[in-house]
Amino acid sequence: MKYSFIKPREKNFLSLFSKIWVVFISLMVLFMLAFNFYIVIEAKFFKQGVVELVSQREELESRIDHDDEDIGIILRQKALSEEIFSNNTLLKESMKNLFDLVPDQITLKKVQMERNSLVLYGVAPTQDTFNFLLAAPLKSIFHTSNTTFYLTSEGWYNFVSINKILGMDGMRE
Amino acid sequence: MVCVSNIDRSLEKIDIMKLLLFLMAFIVITFSIVFLMIIPNVKEHRVLQTEHKRVLVHKTRVENLYLEREAELSRLKIENDAVIKAFKHAFTQEEFIAYAGTFFTDVRLTQVTKSDYKKEFVEYELNVTSTLKTPTNFYSFLEGLNRYSSIVQADFPIHLESGKDSITSTFKLKVYDLNATR
Repeated sequence: MKYSFIKPREKNFLSLFSKIWVVFISLMVLFMLAFNFYIVIEAKFFKQGVVELVSQREELESRIDHDDEDIGIILRQKALSEEIFSNNTLLKESMKNLFDLVPDQITLKKVQMERNSLVLYGVAPTQDTFNFLLAAPLKSIFHTSNTTFYLTSEGWYNFVSINKILGMDGMRE
Repeated sequence: MVCVSNIDRSLEKIDIMKLLLFLMAFIVITFSIVFLMIIPNVKEHRVLQTEHKRVLVHKTRVENLYLEREAELSRLKIENDAVIKAFKHAFTQEEFIAYAGTFFTDVRLTQVTKSDYKKEFVEYELNVTSTLKTPTNFYSFLEGLNRYSSIVQADFPIHLESGKDSITSTFKLKVYDLNATR
């Protein structure tokens, strides 16, 4: 049985006005959530990046330590080899100087070179030849210089010359 | 007429109460999202961004330092190639006798000591006894010693004694090797 003359109007659950508001609010919420999501994701990337960068840095630091060690070894090898090479060169020069020092008139029989001393055994025609030609330059090099002569049956003189350098420098000249 | 009655007139006659309610809802929702989510996250983002930048700068500096060290190391390796090879080369008495044989005749080696030298080296001391024709051979030997395949040093005491037609020499030889245990 009908109580109204008109047909009931179909009414929407939400009016257009409400719909617009709901859509607007939903869009705004969506937009803000999207922005928030972007910020969170980027922050996560930064966090991961920090961890990666720190591990890369630590790796590089350990490589630097390794390189430093290698550099140290090479530098120590270089220093030691330079020292050895210069000692060899100095030794060669000092031997050369010694033999250049000995004049033709004097014959050396035995040479004993120590770090701080030089002992020469040899034959000289006269004591003066030795004193003038060899003793004088030896005295200028060494701090103390003592020579003993022995007369040989041929009338020449056997000599033993002991020369010493005092102090730590040693004979490197 | 039915279709006319269906027209939504909510936009023409705006209900103030509804408008206020929606506005309130909008403000509450927006503020709660902004204050509860966006602001703390933006703060964290900013802190992490600064941290990332700082760490990146630090890493770049360390990387530059590393590249510098690598360049220095390779430069040193190239410059000191001969020395490095000589230290690595194991000293053998046979090889040395063969080398010394070009200057002397009758070379004999006797090992005296072996000891650690400085940080990573081993020092062998050997006595060399040899016979040579002229002192010039000794100079040539000493001159060539710096180009020998191992690091060796001739040292005092040096004894030279002339015989009938040759000179007998005795001297100390120091050989430096890298300590194999390191």
